[in-house]
Amino acid sequence: MPPLSSSWILALVLLAPAAAALLLCVVPAAQAVWVRRIAVLATGASLAGALTIFFHYNRALAGYQYEMLVPWISSLGISFHLGVDGIGTTLVLLHALCAFCGVLISYAITDRVKEYYIFYLVLITGVFGVFTSLDVFFIYFFYEMAVIPMYPLIGIWGSDVKEHGMVRFSKEYAAMKLTIYLTAGAVLALVGLLWLYASSGLQTSDLVALEHHFSLTPLAPHLQRMIFPLLVIGFGVIAPMWPFHSWSPIGHAAAPSAVSMLHAGVLMKLGSYAILRLAVSLMPDGARLWLPWLAGLCVMNIIYGGLVAMAQKDLKLIIGYSSSSHMGYVLLGIAVLTPVGLNGAVLLMFAHGLMTALAFALVGHVYDQTHTRYLPELGGLAKSLPFIATCGVIAAMASSGLPGFANFVAELLVIVGAWDQYRLQAVLAVLGVVITSVYMLRLVRGTFFGQANESLPHARDATTPFARLPYLILTGALLAVGCWPKPLISLIDLSTRPIIARIARAQAAAPGVGSTWRESY
Amino acid sequence: MNWHVIAVEAALSLLVVGLLVGDLLLPSGRKPRLWLIALAGLAALAAVLWCQRPWVGEVFTSAPQAGLMTGGAMFVLDPFAYYFKWLFLLTTGLVVLLTRNDAKLLSTQVGEFYLLLYIALLGMLVLASVNDLLLLFIGLELLTFSAYVMTAYVKTDPKAVEAGMKYLILGSVSSGCLIYGVGLLYGAAGSTNFDVLRALFSTGVIPPLATVGLWLVLVGLGFKIAAVPFHLWAPDVYEGAPTPVVALLSVGSKMAGMVALLRVLYGVFWAAESVWGSMLAVMSAATLLYGNLAAIPQTNIKRLLGYSSIGHAGYLLMGLSTATLFGAQAVSFYLLAYLFSNLAIFFVITLVSKAGGSDALDEYNGLSRRSPLLAAAMFIGLSSLAGVPPLAGFAGKWFVLLATVQDQRLWLVAVGAVNVAISLYYYFMVVRRVYLLAPPTATPIRVDGLNRLILFFLLGGILVIGTVQGPFLALLSRVVTF
Repeated sequence: MPPLSSSWILALVLLAPAAAALLLCVVPAAQAVWVRRIAVLATGASLAGALTIFFHYNRALAGYQYEMLVPWISSLGISFHLGVDGIGTTLVLLHALCAFCGVLISYAITDRVKEYYIFYLVLITGVFGVFTSLDVFFIYFFYEMAVIPMYPLIGIWGSDVKEHGMVRFSKEYAAMKLTIYLTAGAVLALVGLLWLYASSGLQTSDLVALEHHFSLTPLAPHLQRMIFPLLVIGFGVIAPMWPFHSWSPIGHAAAPSAVSMLHAGVLMKLGSYAILRLAVSLMPDGARLWLPWLAGLCVMNIIYGGLVAMAQKDLKLIIGYSSSSHMGYVLLGIAVLTPVGLNGAVLLMFAHGLMTALAFALVGHVYDQTHTRYLPELGGLAKSLPFIATCGVIAAMASSGLPGFANFVAELLVIVGAWDQYRLQAVLAVLGVVITSVYMLRLVRGTFFGQANESLPHARDATTPFARLPYLILTGALLAVGCWPKPLISLIDLSTRPIIARIARAQAAAPGVGSTWRESY
Repeated sequence: MNWHVIAVEAALSLLVVGLLVGDLLLPSGRKPRLWLIALAGLAALAAVLWCQRPWVGEVFTSAPQAGLMTGGAMFVLDPFAYYFKWLFLLTTGLVVLLTRNDAKLLSTQVGEFYLLLYIALLGMLVLASVNDLLLLFIGLELLTFSAYVMTAYVKTDPKAVEAGMKYLILGSVSSGCLIYGVGLLYGAAGSTNFDVLRALFSTGVIPPLATVGLWLVLVGLGFKIAAVPFHLWAPDVYEGAPTPVVALLSVGSKMAGMVALLRVLYGVFWAAESVWGSMLAVMSAATLLYGNLAAIPQTNIKRLLGYSSIGHAGYLLMGLSTATLFGAQAVSFYLLAYLFSNLAIFFVITLVSKAGGSDALDEYNGLSRRSPLLAAAMFIGLSSLAGVPPLAGFAGKWFVLLATVQDQRLWLVAVGAVNVAISLYYYFMVVRRVYLLAPPTATPIRVDGLNRLILFFLLGGILVIGTVQGPFLALLSRVVTF
């Protein structure tokens, strides 16, 4: 079955949540049941589409598939161009899983349900858009569209971050900080993208055309040197690259659980995806010059994020800082620029996304039941929440990089990939794994085991199959990929090789531009 | 003489007289209904404008006259003029509908108000077609004079009177500069006609006298669009004037100023880009930074929009400063997006102010609890102004920034990009009130059917322009040619 004839599947994945958001605008607010059903149906359709694409992606053909091209602004060469390669397929599946589970987890929301789901579906659409678009204009369009709904989602339905009963960060502060940071990053990247578009001289923003053009006639090295950091810092803010990460943990902590799930699970991956797809892939010379710097910064992510996570007492802040720490591995994998490192980076995006979405969903359940996320007030919940505790232990094991989970494979790949080139960074990354296990074990012990706090309200477990569904989906996916990572890695590998090959060609054409990069094919 | 070229303007002049008589004849008790008559008049004008289609591209030729009008037509009906006439008509129609919601305004002599509004419209329509510096001056004065009076229209409101006074004084000075510049240009070129001037300056070298003249003209027009350093009037006037007037000033008047700038800079002085390009770029950066930074601490929604409109003038100037055709098209697109976004916000403002009696930002606390529709309109309108996809303002900003990148003025692009983030901050501080804070009272705000319809129209427009940008840009590339 040639995939081109079924290009509508990818369009369905993207447009189902968008259509649902529009439909919800006319559904009466009192019909909360229908509002929820529509959201579940839409994200369910997206998930079905994403699974179809994942299993039917033609690995022999490789390249972009399920393509759809509609001319949009012809005078500027902008077209609505959809398509996914191995990386896109992986991330679309990740997002579809997280979005579907997020919508189910959102059943806990009871205030202003209709508005909540509209914003949530716009956010979902934006993220799908970035992963499926093959046009620079639309990638930016959807990127910004995904960022903005975060403000009301956190501001209205979020919660303040408290310590000793005192407000440490208000949700309004967290929401505004997140919006401003991400928008500032976005406009920085916008300058870079516009500059790239103008200096290609092609009058097109089509990514495939640009990739083709730049692989034949690379952009002038001095332009690459200037544009590359704009894109990396701009998109790095959401990744979240140290030192632009400070919006992220408090954003996670203040957001409602379903939003944290998408935020840490998928939204952060937009940054690393855009860096890989737009910066590294299009500007190999810039990459060779700047990526050693990125390798240095992301070690700060790993170590600093991990150490700060150890010091936190709010469950969500721990996982928030841990996310920023783990994204350091993703960035390190990209900075390595070898097939092994890139495969590790993309696989980690997938594995970490599932793990962190699961973790935030679990914390959300604990918070809903006990009304606290403050570690010293928790304990012994494994008795009353056996199911949640089991999932929690699984998530913690995955996060700590235990064998049997994809996170282990991915982090191993990144560290092995980095070993040749960035020896010090690789050693520190191994240290990061140790730090992770420290705070993750501390989190599990402090929440689920140890002395129970008798003053907390009685916590009820997720008992019905429906309530368990999101946890089962995420845990199942995590275990499935962990025990059987090969199909996923080979799929990712199909799409990282062309990127490496392009950079190798640039290296051959202009040796000596970046001194630290080494051919490792 | 081919009168059909100026049919709309002629019909409008007749309407002005008709409205004056109608105001006299109608019993005073029925006066609040005058908006319906005013709207019917505009509909008639739209019909006339529709019938003018076959004559687009013609110029108004009067009997040969001696003196100033040496050669060429004063008045042209090119596609550019025709397109903007529709936008001016649309703006005025929406302003008339806005007056419905303004109780203070309705309690006064509304008839005269619509009269002044029509005269302002006449000025804008003339400006769209202007092909002569003198006509430019006349068009601007028609618009500005009626705006002075409309600003101070509610005589019992000291703020309005103060605003009108400020506007009058500063406006007169700027008009003086403009007419002085026109005089200098006439002295340098021997004509005030655009065709003659364009031919004379087509080499790109213009004499110092004409340069000074051009600068003075730019002062006058910069005042209209509230560009720094000629922006001082905007916040005070926006705060004091009745909301429908503010809507007219911020949308119609700004658009008219931009149309005149496009006509003068692109239509006449395009070859002499070196004289004005960099200057506009510097003005644009200053306008952007000032408008957006000063908007942050505001506590009155209209004053906030005053500063925000200064900020938007910065983006408009940015597009102009490129001196490329695409820059002009980007600016025209931006104006279209700005029209829909800003007017949607002004409808919300009139309705909230009708319910609460004030324009303080505190009135907007918890608006989403009192009226989800108004809250959504505010959110979408402000987000569009901030340049959030998939809304109209995003595409406008993208095009303007792209034009500037293509013009290799990267520092200006950087300033523009930073200001996107700054403006998002203060727009979202309003969104914060609307969605996050608790309402002072729980009484819902009722929105009647007509207002609902208009809001849906404006919000739909914002969404459509923002997602399907292609056809609009294609239309503009046919219309905006010099």
